[in-house]
Amino acid sequence: MDRKRVAGPENAVAPLVEYPKDQLRWAPQQEHRHSSKRQPEDIRPIYLKTGLINQANGSAYIELERTKIACGVYGPRQKKASQLSSFSGKGTLNCEFKFATFSCQKRRHHIRDAQERELSQVLSQALAPAVRLELFPKSVVDVYVTVLENDGLAACLAAAITCASVALAHAGIEMLDLVAACSGSYMTVPRNALGQPQTDATTTAAGASRDEIWMDADLEEEKHEDGSIVLAYMPSLNQVTHVLQNGRAEGAVISQSVESCIEACNKIYAVMQHSLLESITNGKTQ
Amino acid sequence: MPTNLISPAERDYILKGVEANVRADGRQRGDYREVSIETGIISQTSGSARVKIAGGTDMLVSVRAEIGPVLVDSETGDGADKGQIICSVECVPSASQGWEGRGADDVNNELSQIMARILSSGNAMVDSTSTDASSPSATSKPSSTPSSKGGAAGIDLSKLCIIPGRLCWILYIDALILDYGGNIIDALLMGTRAAIFDTQIPKTQLQEFGDGQFDFELQDDTEDMVTIEGRENMPICVTLNKIGARYIVDASPLEELVTEARLTIAVNKYGQVCGLQKSQEGCMEPSLLLEMIQSGKTMGQALIKQLDAKIEAEAATDLSMRMQGKPPQKYGFFAQ
Repeated sequence: MDRKRVAGPENAVAPLVEYPKDQLRWAPQQEHRHSSKRQPEDIRPIYLKTGLINQANGSAYIELERTKIACGVYGPRQKKASQLSSFSGKGTLNCEFKFATFSCQKRRHHIRDAQERELSQVLSQALAPAVRLELFPKSVVDVYVTVLENDGLAACLAAAITCASVALAHAGIEMLDLVAACSGSYMTVPRNALGQPQTDATTTAAGASRDEIWMDADLEEEKHEDGSIVLAYMPSLNQVTHVLQNGRAEGAVISQSVESCIEACNKIYAVMQHSLLESITNGKTQ
Repeated sequence: MPTNLISPAERDYILKGVEANVRADGRQRGDYREVSIETGIISQTSGSARVKIAGGTDMLVSVRAEIGPVLVDSETGDGADKGQIICSVECVPSASQGWEGRGADDVNNELSQIMARILSSGNAMVDSTSTDASSPSATSKPSSTPSSKGGAAGIDLSKLCIIPGRLCWILYIDALILDYGGNIIDALLMGTRAAIFDTQIPKTQLQEFGDGQFDFELQDDTEDMVTIEGRENMPICVTLNKIGARYIVDASPLEELVTEARLTIAVNKYGQVCGLQKSQEGCMEPSLLLEMIQSGKTMGQALIKQLDAKIEAEAATDLSMRMQGKPPQKYGFFAQ
């Protein structure tokens, strides 16, 4: 319950607004994708830049249309007293994933909730295989990810992994490879015999629908998905560092989605390399 | 996890053993330890189960059905005619050294989230592609939302609704991990399936007062209760631990320390994958990932069959005891 807002009387109803016809809610059968220019296998254009946060050892900012994430990396530095409880010959990768209070459709709280804590864990599991933690025993590398705008949860997690990996590289921490991540959504798209997207919703039958995998789905598309997968991948080493899937799917669909995610990760990898190269050339001119 | 210390010799022993397909306790890579399950042992719950794996893992899963308000999505209006499932997992501090104080917080959170993801996201009704599943609700879905979202792991949530838009049954699935002997996630989902099979909720009768006013009456006849609809479609988990270039199932605590990467695969009885999650700080090749998913799927289907046979056998003995007028015999906490 949000106490800062005027709730209105208990039996209040939302005002009736008649939307113009062209402002109808998007649904998978109306057009191909939410952004009509995209094909199922297309990901959104990525803007990726390093060196956004001056105080951090390394930082990066990623934007995929309406998904905006900033990441700062501090360290390797000495463990705090509270983290010193157990000795470890390896370094620790401490990731904190936080949604800004205004980033989602519902207001988020300042304190990390269960979902954010889990995503932090996922983030550190996805990045740890790439980082050479054995080089700095007893130290910790802190990775702070802040989501400024969330446009689809799975895509957001994938972007966060990509962004954090670039920030780690920017901080000069030794890594085996960059980690690129991509999300895919399982969609049931109703279609007629001609293979055209169906507009007449009444004739929707199970036989006329087709299962598709839509890469990098945004929030509107995510509302209609049957399930989703997030895959983190090290392209040069050909290793999967994380996979997180929910929703029910046949084995063949899973294999196909893993393959499309790897393909998309290879594309993202080129963008990551480009932004890192750019950060070096920019540094020279300054 | 208990103490995260393992000697190089022990590590080497496990690594080479897995490679040679012989494990410390004589099992092969794909062998499970013996699992014992007892249902209906906590009287205060709607359904309960206790799962023990021979190596030490011991847990209690309880299902409590309570009446609460429905959770409606303010934007799409989804969920007005659906019940809810809320999961929580708690590791008892006495079970393992690493779980003292706040040490178990992360593990609790991870396990609760895995369970919630497997049980309450997008796994609603079985597709029409599965031949032996009759799904009348699949065809009557509103055409505006072709997804099967909002359902839970096969459980028919709409059957848990009492008054649409107002009241529904909320199933609280709470697990208490009493002892740690490795492979907690698999045991957790097995226990959940057993506890849901044991669950009975009272019947409700809707009364209409006219002008859109509704109320309901709970029927307190303990002989005439309903079971959870769609429970046989619930998935269970198979966790594969990658050690060296191979993978094993049902790892012991020591084997879990050697594990580089762990893959949890949720499967239902039709062999559909209902969730995937990698954990631990390791990585794997894509080809190995696909191979692991494939073998997880086949193992999961076999496991569900064995589990269901076990649950049915117990339910049958309980019933025959009741027919003879005797209380069903439960071993409870004295079981070994």
